[in-house]
Amino acid sequence: MNFLTLAAKNLLRRRGRTFLTVLGVAIAITVLFSLLSLNSGYEKELTKEMGSLGVHILAVPKGCPYEAASLILHGGVIPKYLTATDLKNVSSIEGIGLATPMLMQQFIRQDAKTGKDVPHVVFGIKIDEVRELKPWWKVQGRYFTDEESNVMLVGRGLADKENLTVGSILPAGPFKNFTIIGILDRTGDQDDQFHFVPLAEAQRVFNKTGMLTTIAVKVEDLSQIEKVSEEMEKIPDIQVVTMTQIMGTIMNLAGSARSLLLTVIIIALIISAFGIINTLLMSVNERTREFGMMKAIGASGLDIGKMVLAETVFITIAGGAIGTVTAIVGSSLIEGFVKGMLPFAPRGTMVSLSPELIGFAMAFSVILGLICGLYPAFISSRLSPMEAIRGGVE
Amino acid sequence: MNGIIEAKSLFKTYRRGREEIHALKNVDFQVNKGEFVSIIGPSGSGKTALLNVLGCLDVPSHGSLRLNGTETNGLKESDLVKVRRENIGFVFQQFYLMPTLTARENIELPLLFSKKNGNKNRIDDVLQMVGLSDRGDHLPSQLSGGEMQRVAIGRALINDPRIILADEPTGNLDSATSQMIFDLFRDLNRKGLTLVIVTHNLDLARQAQKMYTLRDGQIVGCEDLTCVLGRSDIKVQQEVV
Repeated sequence: MNFLTLAAKNLLRRRGRTFLTVLGVAIAITVLFSLLSLNSGYEKELTKEMGSLGVHILAVPKGCPYEAASLILHGGVIPKYLTATDLKNVSSIEGIGLATPMLMQQFIRQDAKTGKDVPHVVFGIKIDEVRELKPWWKVQGRYFTDEESNVMLVGRGLADKENLTVGSILPAGPFKNFTIIGILDRTGDQDDQFHFVPLAEAQRVFNKTGMLTTIAVKVEDLSQIEKVSEEMEKIPDIQVVTMTQIMGTIMNLAGSARSLLLTVIIIALIISAFGIINTLLMSVNERTREFGMMKAIGASGLDIGKMVLAETVFITIAGGAIGTVTAIVGSSLIEGFVKGMLPFAPRGTMVSLSPELIGFAMAFSVILGLICGLYPAFISSRLSPMEAIRGGVE
Repeated sequence: MNGIIEAKSLFKTYRRGREEIHALKNVDFQVNKGEFVSIIGPSGSGKTALLNVLGCLDVPSHGSLRLNGTETNGLKESDLVKVRRENIGFVFQQFYLMPTLTARENIELPLLFSKKNGNKNRIDDVLQMVGLSDRGDHLPSQLSGGEMQRVAIGRALINDPRIILADEPTGNLDSATSQMIFDLFRDLNRKGLTLVIVTHNLDLARQAQKMYTLRDGQIVGCEDLTCVLGRSDIKVQQEVV
């Protein structure tokens, strides 16, 4: 027999209470582990997603803040415009594989069911070039050509929401009488909610002839991004935003959501810590006679303290293990919740599990146990054997 | 003096609020090596207080206590732990067994604290000594009162102490079981162990070699009972003032 066996057997005497304490720790560790795994996963997935967008650099009108870039990704509208000359200048820069113009606009339409005004986002695009940027696009129906008029593609999410099918004709709004000729398969990102029309049609409908919101650029060689963007900066009227900068902006936006989650976790951990301390102190108080007996049969204060500390560490290790497993098993559920709170959620899974992270969660549990167990261990080690046997400890 | 326990002018005063309770008043007490001593007295007479002081579980307010030649007065708690570990085995009325440990593990417990872990033969010997060879794997809840007290006695013996101090060891047992426990004590005494037992039971107390009577924190009588036990070195009853 050793101290660990003794501590484990002591805990089994009060199964219900031990279970509840372990549960408290487990919940705290679940939240902590989830946040940490989501945090690293978010960054990793965002990088991956930015890469898969095919767009390496965005050109936006000068004077737009960096947030404009993330607005574009979201379908927000910026009030300044680029021109066909800008597109020509950008396209002529060496090292550029593709530079495609886009006009993004919003219109408001009343929801048929709720009667509320709902903003809709429309992208005017060059279809072949965008398909080159987004090779994963698949369509039910067909794509339009750049020369067609009164035709539209919609995202799957939008189509489901608005009950649109291939062949539907829009009854009202600026695109009245446009025919839905294709519905994009679900992509899991913002494209699911957008309307897409030929660029010229968008410019016509919104009366923005020759105007562009952005130019999406794909470079031939990734290592040339810096060089190409420097060249683009030289063009007047253009502000260049690389995907790295966009990611930085998004990460900043995500930062506030993370701070909120972190606060929740800290509160959860503090509550959990006090729960553990309370349970242990109750347990110490109940067992004063037993500790007195132990001292009578040769235990030192240090021995008793070690035993109480071992019990605490057992509780937190068990809680840590359960919490980690729960976080892994329930990651999709937690991910769904967190995604709802983030300003830009990547398409793929955000949960990133690594042995280091699991090691950290477990180490954190042990440290939590040591911190929580210290005071009860100190109290129990200081019990006078005589007082303890008489049960006279306050 | 050459006793294994030598207490001189022991005083013990407790405070309960503003009230002072004089549990021991000027107690002189000596136990020689290999003696079997019982202490009797009414409730509140200071029996347990004396036993606790003798076992270094409590420190006297005044006076000196030598255990096996070591003066305990002024020792730090860590030194008192050593003195307890090396010299004393405790037996309590309520047994104080750990409910989740088997009889064997309960007996083993002091070895964990004295860092003599893993001495399996010693545990077997002790189990045999207390007559529980076949009950070692039972939990306390599966044992009778007498068996539980035997386990507690085994636990007191495992560190091979020089003295056993027992506080009302038969207080929770019926008379037949009490007698069995006392027979065990006498067996241990015959093997050379020194025993000091506090009890309410006069019949059992008289089975010791010497019986002290305590009243109001003072020893008011000491009866040498060796004649009863059939020893040749008979002494007459002494009154200690």
